[in-house]
Amino acid sequence: MALNVLRTLDIEAKHEKDFRRTILIVDDEPINLRILGNILVAEYDIAYAQTGEEAMEEIRNQKGFLSLVLLDLYMPKGNGFMVLDSIRQDESLSKIPIIVLTSDKSAEVDCLRRGAVDFLSKPYDNPEVIRARIARAIELSIDRNIIVETGVDVLTGLMTKEYFFQYCREYDKFHPEKEMDAIVLNVSKFHLINELYGRVFGDRILQGVADGVRSASRSCGGVACRYSGDCFYIYIEHQINYDFLTRMVQEKLFEISETNDIRVRVGVYSDIYRSSNLEQRFDRAMTACNSIGRSNAADMVALYDNHMHEKEIYEAKLLVDIDRAVSESQFNVVFQPKYDIRGDEPRLCSAEVLVRWKHPEYGFVRPDFFIPLFEENGRIKDLDRYVWHEAAKQVRRWKDMYGVSIPVSVNVSRVDIFDPDLLDYLKKTLDDNALAPDDLCLEITETAYTDSVTQIIEVVNNLRNAGFKVEMDDFGKGYSSLNMLTSLPIDALKLDMAFIKDIAENNKEMSMVEFILQIARFLGVPVIAEGVESSEQYLLLKKAGCDIIQGYYFSKPVSSSEFGRLIERNLLDEKEPEALEQVEASEQE
Amino acid sequence: MTIDSLKEFGANVDEGLERCMGMEDFYLEMIELGISDERFEMLGTALESGNMEESFEIVHALKGVIGNLALSPLYNTICEITEHLRAKEQIDYKVLYDRLMSQRKQIMEM
Repeated sequence: MALNVLRTLDIEAKHEKDFRRTILIVDDEPINLRILGNILVAEYDIAYAQTGEEAMEEIRNQKGFLSLVLLDLYMPKGNGFMVLDSIRQDESLSKIPIIVLTSDKSAEVDCLRRGAVDFLSKPYDNPEVIRARIARAIELSIDRNIIVETGVDVLTGLMTKEYFFQYCREYDKFHPEKEMDAIVLNVSKFHLINELYGRVFGDRILQGVADGVRSASRSCGGVACRYSGDCFYIYIEHQINYDFLTRMVQEKLFEISETNDIRVRVGVYSDIYRSSNLEQRFDRAMTACNSIGRSNAADMVALYDNHMHEKEIYEAKLLVDIDRAVSESQFNVVFQPKYDIRGDEPRLCSAEVLVRWKHPEYGFVRPDFFIPLFEENGRIKDLDRYVWHEAAKQVRRWKDMYGVSIPVSVNVSRVDIFDPDLLDYLKKTLDDNALAPDDLCLEITETAYTDSVTQIIEVVNNLRNAGFKVEMDDFGKGYSSLNMLTSLPIDALKLDMAFIKDIAENNKEMSMVEFILQIARFLGVPVIAEGVESSEQYLLLKKAGCDIIQGYYFSKPVSSSEFGRLIERNLLDEKEPEALEQVEASEQE
Repeated sequence: MTIDSLKEFGANVDEGLERCMGMEDFYLEMIELGISDERFEMLGTALESGNMEESFEIVHALKGVIGNLALSPLYNTICEITEHLRAKEQIDYKVLYDRLMSQRKQIMEM
């Protein structure tokens, strides 16, 4: 068992202090029975049997209490071999260790094959030797039984992960020359199976996967465990192709579900030089497994390759560098202008703040790459706060420079929403820059709403009561129900870019946008379209009644100074009396 | 029968006593039990009738019992007969059997 003394099972203490164990002595010679009993009686409770049949009766009657059987081989009415075979064949008895009493050396190998754990020779050894061997056999058997109990996953019969890793480490130690693959296999969208068909069916699916995994890994001399939920780990000699694994598992799944809808994903990491430790190798297999799209049914096996490795190293480095990035101002913000298109001429009305990271080594890091990374890692809160602060500073500066209020929208991430400090921090950010809540619009992504609707409504209500405007970002990307929309506290809907991409006169996409605009009108909130790149898109959206637009058609995201020039130009335009009237009219709205 | 007389006979009394946890009475009781085993007589009959197989089974069983009593001369004779019978040797077993019985008698008369 464990090497550490503190973690070793204290069998001896239990043995001496807690209770007396029972040993069955089986021998047809009364003298031998009595001598052996006399040696052991001080430490153990002793049961006796003089024939194989008697022995089996005793063993069956006392199976839960017997710690050991001392078994003579040659007896009338059922010899020792019969007893060994009967015990081995009965699962409920096979945990009881048996020591064979024999003077016959030639029988020893046969006895071991039949399940004996040790021998005591006749004539008997020194009693101390006998007692020590018996104590050791009992201790080992308890350890073994505990390992068996805790090493097997109850649902699938595969190894548990602890046993699996221990086994693989041992394997590596004694087979350093073998080329091994670490494999992670999971069931695509397993949570849906449980939800749709119930847990009992879900469990049957897991058992089916386990059967397939077991057969496949055994066919190559490998081992497997259920790592967690629907995730299985396999350690196997390097294979060129893993189609056999998916095929064997899919066949089992078909037997149970009678469809081919349930798919498994397989990630493989081959490390023929074992340059990394076992856990790392399985982490990489997991990365490969996760790289397979959940809905992509084409290729269900992914190999961890250099590209994935570089991406992981890159991600890890970025995470390490975030503190320095903040302190060394590697992040900066840019402004995506938003134009109000309700009037005759588009008018600059606000901006969305976007973050850029210029890494000293890698140059510009794509936000769609580092933001999810920071979200996953919990560092997004620091980044968001940095952006809010920079945005507020800039709004203040424009007020001072141009005497105008250009509100900016900032992103509020999922983790921010559950931060009890959120409102106070936002208020402080405004106070520090002598701004009002309507100078900062807050964008919350739609999927955050649908993930945790009740909690979020409360937070958003508090923000709105404090005067902030809240926009639902990426609307259409998630799965808001129409019913839910009516109860959501929002001040604007921001259409997801994907809606705009393919709109054309009278096509399906355009009808969908028109439908959403109607919903927004029903809710009494303006709609902001992002990703507008062409005049066709602009005109279609304007005609349909969209309120505000952002995108490359008007302007790419610009630096604060460039944005300043846009404000200046806007001010010049507004000096024309007609435009001025429009501004006043819209402000009164 | 005493420990000393057993010693005189050539028994490995220390070993026998150790096996019996130092309990003299228990040791002597076991010897009396062992020595009065009727299989000594059965062995004679089996050998006389030339039934090697039965003879082997009997002497092998006796070996398993007497061995634990540390009665060395008696045990050695039993071992000798056992091995000849195991090898199915056609020898004059009477000599060996007589020795065995006389050793047994010696102990019984202590």
